[in-house]
Amino acid sequence: MPILRTIACAAVALLIGTTAYAPSAQSQDVVSSLPRKETLILENPEGTIKNPGWFNIWAINAGGQYTGLQQLAMDTLWYIDPEKGLDGPIDNSLASEPPKYNADFTEMTVKLRPGIFWSDGVEFTADDVVYTVETQMKNTGMRWGPLLSLNVESVQAPDPQTVVFKLKRPNSRFHALFTVRFNAIWIMPKHVFEQAPDPMRFDFNKPVSLGAYALHSFDPQGKWFIWQRRDDWQRTTLGRFGEPGPKYAVYMDAGPPDKRVIAQMNHNLDVVHDVAPEGMFTLAKQSKSSRGWFKDFPYAHPDPTLPALLFNHQRPEFQDRDVRWALALLIDIKAVSMASYRGAATISAIGIPPTGTHPDDYHIPMQDWLKSFELDTGKRKIKPYDPTIGKQIADMLRPSMKEQIPTDQASIDRSFGMGWWKPNPQAAQELLQKAGYTKRGSSWYTPDGKPFSIRVMVEGESRPVITRAGTMIAQQWRQFGIDAKTDLAQGTMLDRRNAGDFDTLISWSVESYGGHPDLAYFLDSWHSDYVAAPGKMQAPRNYMRWASPELDGIIEKIRGVSFDDPRSIELGREYVKLAVREMPIIPLMAYNVFVAMDDTYWTGYPTAEDPYANPVPNWGNSRYMMVRLKPSE
Amino acid sequence: MRTYAAYLAKRLMQFALVVFIGINLTYLISHSTPIDPVEQTISALTSFGNTSPEAIETMRQSLRELYGMSGTPLEQYLSFWSRIAVGDFGPSLSAFPTPVSELILRALPWTIGLLVVATLIAWLLGNLLGGLAGYYRRNRVLKALGLVAMGLHPMPYYVVAFVLLVLFGFLWPVLPISGGSGMAVQQGFSFAFAYSVFIHSLLPALSLVLVGMGGWFLGMRALVSNIVTEDYVVYAELGGVDRHRILTSYVMRNALVPQVTGLAMSLGAIFTGAIITEEVFGYPGIGSLLVDAVHAGDYSLVLGVTSVSIVAVSTAVLVIDLLYPLLDPRVQVE
Repeated sequence: MPILRTIACAAVALLIGTTAYAPSAQSQDVVSSLPRKETLILENPEGTIKNPGWFNIWAINAGGQYTGLQQLAMDTLWYIDPEKGLDGPIDNSLASEPPKYNADFTEMTVKLRPGIFWSDGVEFTADDVVYTVETQMKNTGMRWGPLLSLNVESVQAPDPQTVVFKLKRPNSRFHALFTVRFNAIWIMPKHVFEQAPDPMRFDFNKPVSLGAYALHSFDPQGKWFIWQRRDDWQRTTLGRFGEPGPKYAVYMDAGPPDKRVIAQMNHNLDVVHDVAPEGMFTLAKQSKSSRGWFKDFPYAHPDPTLPALLFNHQRPEFQDRDVRWALALLIDIKAVSMASYRGAATISAIGIPPTGTHPDDYHIPMQDWLKSFELDTGKRKIKPYDPTIGKQIADMLRPSMKEQIPTDQASIDRSFGMGWWKPNPQAAQELLQKAGYTKRGSSWYTPDGKPFSIRVMVEGESRPVITRAGTMIAQQWRQFGIDAKTDLAQGTMLDRRNAGDFDTLISWSVESYGGHPDLAYFLDSWHSDYVAAPGKMQAPRNYMRWASPELDGIIEKIRGVSFDDPRSIELGREYVKLAVREMPIIPLMAYNVFVAMDDTYWTGYPTAEDPYANPVPNWGNSRYMMVRLKPSE
Repeated sequence: MRTYAAYLAKRLMQFALVVFIGINLTYLISHSTPIDPVEQTISALTSFGNTSPEAIETMRQSLRELYGMSGTPLEQYLSFWSRIAVGDFGPSLSAFPTPVSELILRALPWTIGLLVVATLIAWLLGNLLGGLAGYYRRNRVLKALGLVAMGLHPMPYYVVAFVLLVLFGFLWPVLPISGGSGMAVQQGFSFAFAYSVFIHSLLPALSLVLVGMGGWFLGMRALVSNIVTEDYVVYAELGGVDRHRILTSYVMRNALVPQVTGLAMSLGAIFTGAIITEEVFGYPGIGSLLVDAVHAGDYSLVLGVTSVSIVAVSTAVLVIDLLYPLLDPRVQVE
């Protein structure tokens, strides 16, 4: 049969052709025309950018943010690192010193650093800052427009290195708007934007950079963005820390978790933003050049956020703290840790993430208070805190993970967390009975005779680790006789969370600076003034809609002291005690991000042993790793 | 001919009605989703900062105006049809202010390029080999191919894709596992770019061909197996007609009619994109665009993609219906 023979010959020829191509394919795959030894490749967790030709970071949805744009090209007045920082967690970036407020916090003066230039050679001055503020105030459709117009009365530049903000009302944390934790109000190049007829519809392509890198090229399909080190990197704020190592930095959509693992194993992805725990375990086991934040288990970087079980305080069932405490005492955090992170979790009993310097500021100093904390069940007083839970998790994992589990207490505390609430079904029963709940047969009923039913809303496949935590908690409550079920939100999570359309929710309402003890970043938004009426949309972050006069008092005192005032730590600890007593949310653990770093081409990544920067590559302050990275050879 | 003209008019009216109903249904479904693009955007904008309720409200009002969502539902619906009538789907909400049509036009060539080639290869190989297998039923190689096709055809597509990914992306890493072209290869008319596109399309195309070919193979083999027992084929064989001629002119030609219909339908459906393929291989086509749009609640983009798809599939069906009476004398317009 000649036809069949022809087809067979063609197939063989194709196979030979593919095989002949094979040796060069891998190296050509990713950075074909870039010298690999001079190129750092990082994951952009935004995925593929639909409108990649837009670099106007001040306009809404106009292009990607984490394409290297906010990390390498943008700059603003201050940076604050969730870790220890290169020179302390706070870096005066475009500002040459910390902000100066007047006595009643209605005026903020900023001194700017001289000798900083945009990538097109124009000098950065106070006019750029004034332009940034005024342009966004005029255009409330821009990202920070509403915030600025609500806060700023006027902004002036008395000289090229000074900016004076006059505020509409006292605000001791106004500078936080210009302080990068994740991002902040980036400074606009006045000389570029003032040429554009409409700043909201200006693509800013090619972007003019204030950072040490400038745009080299990008994929018109939005898959990758390449940045090149500026020849005049000394004239940027990062230049004070030395020359950035990589000549090129590529931010790319690395695909779903399994492909990120494959890409790093093939040494085509130096920094993975996040993989599932299982992916990290695979990399740690199979790739000798890969490592996580912790050298050993649990590997992950604890984000300064705190996944927790949030009660909807506007539902009658959760308005009694005895009920909230009962539900907390029904949770076995060890099982939750195993179900969610396969044990690679850093637990926290208090409403502060166990991140950066927080263990030193809050967790360790409060251990004695936690150990002596008493709970009145109505029948007796119990001490619910078990300081050994972190160690128990480590011991539980040791037989299977062996030498990967640290043995010294300090490392265990830092990696797995310290204590948590010991499961106590008997005390939970007493608390529920104290609150008027009854048990009939094997089921619990509310004071008005209805079955005690709880839906635990979870995000679903887009956040599998946290979803598994919620599923485990619902299961534990169900075993106790409560009609608890998981409520899969999938893509509707944000809408339902903001609308208060949930009983309980696995999410986070606590986000802190991590490297600095001030809690105003999230705590200010927990003031009862911010709580929306039922049915109305809730502003971030008090998604649980908890209103407490006692908490309002603490928040108002924090507003009255400056950012670096030691009294703010004392007030922060007051918040912790109140939150333990009231249990408005059940804190679970840090949001652990499995950042995997490959040292085949680069060394000097930030790690738990050398925590000079947040390693998570989409954070604005991850730029600091550039000056510490060195070629491996 | 008058009969055919009447049939044509009737068919065109049906076409218009199907497109109108289809787009309306998509409009209703996408607008009744619980995902609000404004709230999605606000959540994204405020997720890394502290924002007061007043600022959120200002932001919400600005976004509603920007997104064209400030009128009543009826006003929004009428505005939608006035725009879509001239081919304007408005700006994408998740990639504001880029026009939806621009996003679709940017993604379509990738999808069309990949799917047209893969569909045609799968169709040609599947039908050719299936036809041979149906005619030369005792051939061992073709029997073996039949077994492979039977094994591949019912296999879920994503399993095949993942196996290929592991085989050629990890165990024997010779092919790119993601994207439409390589980094730092400038898009344009150059050999480097064409080569990069070709190499990047190999794995997704191979996965589509492997799975698609099985279906065509089995279908064609079954058709040919039936036709070879028809009287006219038996008569031709008894009459000593050359077997090659019987295969090509008598058997394959007749068996191809339903397969051509299937091909036209497949080509029409290309405008929906190969969603799983594009997601698995990170291919920058219309399928990925649609998935992203659904996740982001970007109903302008969802409407744009689905409208194009509705028109494409309806047009494919219309063309087949119009051509059949002209090509196949057995099909009557009445």
